[in-house]
Amino acid sequence: MKSSIWKIFGFLVLTVVLYNWIGYAITDLSGGKKDMSGAVEISPEGGETLYWGKGRCYTCHSLGGQGSAVRGPNHGQFGEKFPMPMGSRATERAIERTEKTGTPFTAVDYIVESMAEPGAYVVNGYKNEMAVVYAPPISLNLNEIKAIVAYLMVQGGDLDMEAIDTAPSEISTKLYSKIQAAQAAGGGDPGAGETVFEDNCEECHSLEGEMIVGPDLSTIGDKGIKFISESILNPAKSITPGFETYEVETKDGTKIVGLKTRDEGGEVDITKKNGDVVTVVQSDIKTISVDANASVMPEDLNEAMTVKDFQDLQAYMIMQKAEKKDGE
Amino acid sequence: MRKLFNRLARPGVAVIAILAVVLFASQALAQEGNVYRQFLGLDSRRLVWFLAQMHLYFGAFVLGVPMFALVIEIVGWRSKDEKYDKLAYEFTSLLSVAYATTAALGGLMAFALVTLYPTFWGFMAGVFKDIMFMYALMFFFETFFLYLYYYGWKAMKGGREFGRPLQLILKTLGVAAIVFTVAFAFGTFDPEGGMRTDTRVFFIVLYFIPITACLFMVKNLKTTHIAIGILLNVAGTLIMQLANSMAGYMMSPVGVNEALEITGTTWQAFENILATPIAIHRMLGNLAFGGLVAGSYAAVKFIGAKTIEDKAHYDWMGYVANVVAVAALIPLPFAGYYLGREIYSTSAVMGNNMMGGDFSWTFIIQAMLVGSLFLISNYYLWSGMTRIPGAERYYKFIKFILFALILSFAIWLTPHNLPLSSLEVGEMGGSQYHPMLKFLGLMPAKNAVVNLIILATFFSFLLYRRGNKLVPVSIREQGKTAKMVIIGSGVVAILLVGQYALTMMTMNPADLDLPADRAYYMRIMGYLLIFECVMAVVTVVLALNDRGKLGQGLYMGVTAFNVAIFLGVWGFVVMEKASPVLRNVAVAQFLQLISCLVLVTAIDLFLWKGAKEVGTLKWGKMTSRSQYALLLLTIVITMNMGLMGFIRSGLRGDWHIFGIMRDTSDWGATPTNFVMTQQVGGAVLLFLVACAFMFWLGSLLTKANNEESSSADNGRSAE
Repeated sequence: MKSSIWKIFGFLVLTVVLYNWIGYAITDLSGGKKDMSGAVEISPEGGETLYWGKGRCYTCHSLGGQGSAVRGPNHGQFGEKFPMPMGSRATERAIERTEKTGTPFTAVDYIVESMAEPGAYVVNGYKNEMAVVYAPPISLNLNEIKAIVAYLMVQGGDLDMEAIDTAPSEISTKLYSKIQAAQAAGGGDPGAGETVFEDNCEECHSLEGEMIVGPDLSTIGDKGIKFISESILNPAKSITPGFETYEVETKDGTKIVGLKTRDEGGEVDITKKNGDVVTVVQSDIKTISVDANASVMPEDLNEAMTVKDFQDLQAYMIMQKAEKKDGE
Repeated sequence: MRKLFNRLARPGVAVIAILAVVLFASQALAQEGNVYRQFLGLDSRRLVWFLAQMHLYFGAFVLGVPMFALVIEIVGWRSKDEKYDKLAYEFTSLLSVAYATTAALGGLMAFALVTLYPTFWGFMAGVFKDIMFMYALMFFFETFFLYLYYYGWKAMKGGREFGRPLQLILKTLGVAAIVFTVAFAFGTFDPEGGMRTDTRVFFIVLYFIPITACLFMVKNLKTTHIAIGILLNVAGTLIMQLANSMAGYMMSPVGVNEALEITGTTWQAFENILATPIAIHRMLGNLAFGGLVAGSYAAVKFIGAKTIEDKAHYDWMGYVANVVAVAALIPLPFAGYYLGREIYSTSAVMGNNMMGGDFSWTFIIQAMLVGSLFLISNYYLWSGMTRIPGAERYYKFIKFILFALILSFAIWLTPHNLPLSSLEVGEMGGSQYHPMLKFLGLMPAKNAVVNLIILATFFSFLLYRRGNKLVPVSIREQGKTAKMVIIGSGVVAILLVGQYALTMMTMNPADLDLPADRAYYMRIMGYLLIFECVMAVVTVVLALNDRGKLGQGLYMGVTAFNVAIFLGVWGFVVMEKASPVLRNVAVAQFLQLISCLVLVTAIDLFLWKGAKEVGTLKWGKMTSRSQYALLLLTIVITMNMGLMGFIRSGLRGDWHIFGIMRDTSDWGATPTNFVMTQQVGGAVLLFLVACAFMFWLGSLLTKANNEESSSADNGRSAE
């Protein structure tokens, strides 16, 4: 029995050694640990570090023969499908766009747009599924995005650092603002936030200056991210004047809680949380009072959303500014 | 009695004490901000990783072995074969040492988290405080049922039936449990915000149905003992699910904002998106692991056995353990696929990083390990055929199965591309991708061969089962049970495939962001699935008309063609023209395969039931090589568990809690595959040596029991 135990132990050790050898050989082939940290400068070299590191671009894109990902378009010159590398490809697409729209559009605008609004132009044969690179978990900041733009531009294109960093075009400036706004809102994706808004908020709130049940939110972005966050997580804490919660007790003992949406002709309309409108004749009211600690907005709204939904919604809300509306 | 009480109370009290320290200490430490510490200058990440890995291995052992023991006990009870009962008892005897070690390692891991990662653990304790107390409470239950199950084994062997009043009470409770389960299924007890379907099914299948079955089955002491075994497994599964919820939460947090303010409920944290998919995967993994650990115990005993009787006993034990393990192994790739899909749905970044990013090479190692598991399992079955008189008739098929397995394995291993030198790139016409092999590295090829590997393994098992059988038994002449089971299995197969055929025939391409003309790619699959349903009907009809073998062959052939060839190729077409439909191709493959396994197994059960035999199985007539194969299976699955754990937790990248709390420590970067193999290899070595120690302790107990019973027998003889 003793000798068989040693044989078995030897067999076990041999297998573990083989396993480690495989790990060693594969690490030797595939490279070292994936470090996601470290600040970089706005330059093609900085962009390269980010492209193959923190930015995780390599998980979906390859660059010519470098990398193996095929989920997204190859950023280098590769086969018949990609006869030009990214920099010159962007220049060509920018010319096409300028001719089509009549508005000047640059190669830098094209690459910035592909990161700020990846759905704006989807390469034929690929799905609109690019991750929001300025949102968690990737969370690239604006300078890091500019560095990657520089890196992609030098792939066959002319590098214009002014257009990327110090003097961007009007289009790039707008896109940079969007990225910054989204980052201020915790890095959410405003596009996805619009869907969250439609699913959860649109029934009661308008973005067009109208009053439905709750206040109009067309300029809520001007109030700042803290106010937006608080309004979603703790709606009773920051009630907009005119949207206080009323508690009405009728003479027969019935209690109705909601927004007072009409008070005329001897009648009061109370809009309840579920949207039902109850009309009460003034003479039937025993007491009517404002409950300062209550809001008709669903208190469990944050529970119905994932963290991502919440961040996306915040990002969408922060973009609802008077300045934006004027510009439209 | 006091000894028993002490045994019952000790692990539970220890867990409560650890938990109290963890909760209070962590809340206090959490005030300090984002803090990381070291112990003896060690890399904190690797230290926690190692402790977690060891805890998980022992946890899987104490969860997997009772599952395995219960299955064996039930087989023994139904077949009235005492040797199964003894086998189950022998394995249960291994648990008490492992149980205390699991609790001790869990404590060590918790202390390491509290002291080395105070901020992170402080936050987790805040979110999961209720779950943690429930976790400790479940430990009491598990301890209670475990010791009752083990120490009550001999005392609860048989006896008279319980009185009618007691049985009536139990049945009434059983009916109440059914009503409760149905109400639960329809969402009557849903928490605010609802419940995920997979969580609901998990609760029903693994908790409510087993508990209800307990209430109906308890009639005497033996069935009470089996019911205790079921409750032991229910408690163990719940412990696993509670712990999993924390692992899942770290990948898919809910009910928390970016300022780390907890805004959700305990239920939401518990039922985070990935909690149940991970639990399903672990559940099956634990069962396979339990079976294989039991198999390695048998292998070690077989290698050291001196007598023919001992060899025969441990050979049989190893065979049973392997069958249970392979049965759990077969659905595991699909549970893995489901988990992967949910990970991708949670975050495309995590999903891409999994198979196309940092972990793509780790998945190559994983493919080697999983492929080896199937290959070695087949080898063990083929070796086993040498002990079956008459099995030589089927040896001719082995070379074809081996060819299919090796080919599939090779395709599964083929990466999409490899880092090449410029010279090599030049030789391949300037492309990084090999003109032909590049296709084998893509998902459609891999899905096709995984299905083929499973089908080939299943075919080996069918050959093994009929090894010594002469002529199939007429199903027409068998009772109603045979016909009902076969028809029922056919209905299950048709429902499984048919509902998805309907989905494919009615799916709107716009739902997948595709233009209307891409509906064609879905409809083709719909027609294929309808064809599979028709073949299921034909198979049932053939089986009921005593053409069972033909039916089995036809159905397996059609399934193999559909899943491995047609859908394998179709996957590439879909990938090119309508890539979002690719995931539907994988589901279609999986459903056809499962329906094939269900229906063909059902027919096989009756086809050879009581058939004339060439001769009896010669248990013990096995080579030592086959036993090393069993050992290797255990080593490989243990390594694979560690590797998959590395991938699962590594997917978060440098986030403790994905998207919420970043890991800013010096150890935040994802380690290399070599570091992984060092960590996992070390843990595997230590764990299996510890297992050997437990086996030795178990053998001392068996020896003592045997001596005790033989001296009792001698005493009776002297009287």
